Amino acid sequence: MDFKKQFKEGLLTKNPVLVQLLGMCSTLAITTSLFNGIGMGLAVTAILICSNVLISALRNFIPSQIRIAAYITIIAGFVTIVDLLLQAFIPALSESLGVFIPLIVVNCIVLGRAEAFASKNSVAASAVDGLCQGIGYTVALIVVCVIRELLGKGTFGGGILNGGEGIRLIPSQFPAMQMVMPVGGFLVLGFVIAGSQKLMKHLEMKNKKKEAAK
Amino acid sequence: MKTESSAAYIARLTITLLLITAVVAAGLACVNAVTAPEIEALNAQKTQNAVEAVLPGGGEEIAFTDDSGIVSTIYKGQSGYAVEVTPAGFNGTVTMMVGVDTSGKVLGISVVSHTETAGLGAEAAADNTAGNAFRSQFAGMSGSVSVSKDGGQVDALTGATITSRAVCTGVNAALNAVAKLG
Repeated sequence: MDFKKQFKEGLLTKNPVLVQLLGMCSTLAITTSLFNGIGMGLAVTAILICSNVLISALRNFIPSQIRIAAYITIIAGFVTIVDLLLQAFIPALSESLGVFIPLIVVNCIVLGRAEAFASKNSVAASAVDGLCQGIGYTVALIVVCVIRELLGKGTFGGGILNGGEGIRLIPSQFPAMQMVMPVGGFLVLGFVIAGSQKLMKHLEMKNKKKEAAK
Repeated sequence: MKTESSAAYIARLTITLLLITAVVAAGLACVNAVTAPEIEALNAQKTQNAVEAVLPGGGEEIAFTDDSGIVSTIYKGQSGYAVEVTPAGFNGTVTMMVGVDTSGKVLGISVVSHTETAGLGAEAAADNTAGNAFRSQFAGMSGSVSVSKDGGQVDALTGATITSRAVCTGVNAALNAVAKLG
């Protein structure tokens, strides 16, 4: 188990959103304010950790022919638990994210990690994988949220800071509403993915140079 | 090793999946037992708040007739009525409370629950500048309301014409239902 490697993979080189291109539906739909991004990220992270741990613990018990059905049942169970808990104890977040909480069931990241990692690795490694992938998802969401909110509404921290209004950085007549609409989601996500690829290339070159210097 | 088509193997698959679903269902039942009363209390509180927000002093449920199909409850208070309507929004049903005074004017509106898009249609329910401005413009309106795009007097929420239309539909249904009460 290599925490540092898993963390780097989750955050950058195998980022679920930016590299694996999983969970696009929620990434495009809810990234309109910082509150939504953080809330959705944390909810998915919690579910990823729980489902990864349970699926990893049961990996020798579940026959491979019925694994997808078993995984989905387990994931749906955790999602429903999170949904009920949010409705009961954090109603503001539950209202803000609405139908996208139950839709985590079909978020490919959760099933993807169950299939690609938890079903083949130990419980502890799977828990770390859930955490790292969840952080990667959350960070990607937050980056997209901040850009879309700034360009679309001209604010930062909507839903949390300044009594939920967000801090105004651009006067209200300038922001392009299109950026919080679906088209803005696709545009911003595209640019963020391109930017992250550039960053990874840059880091790779640097590592190569370092090795060459040795 | 049993072959994949043997009866014993099929039985094992079935029993494994049955066990998993049973355990998950039991877990959900436990969580639901804890959260159900909380959620119910929150919803009741929300409805109560919504009634009081649009009808000072609150009110009592009364019987009514409705042909729009979206009026779910009417509360009668001293200054008028609070009408719960459920028009279809962009993603699903918008449950909202409309206060109507005895002369048929809107006292105010309040959104109880909805599944509109976060950041756009959801602003109709949000407690912020855009949401408050949108809801407060309904106060004092009567007859039939519609968004300015449809030639009406209501300024729609930016990027959420469908949701704004749904709210107008709800307000109209509430006004009609109260007019029928006489």
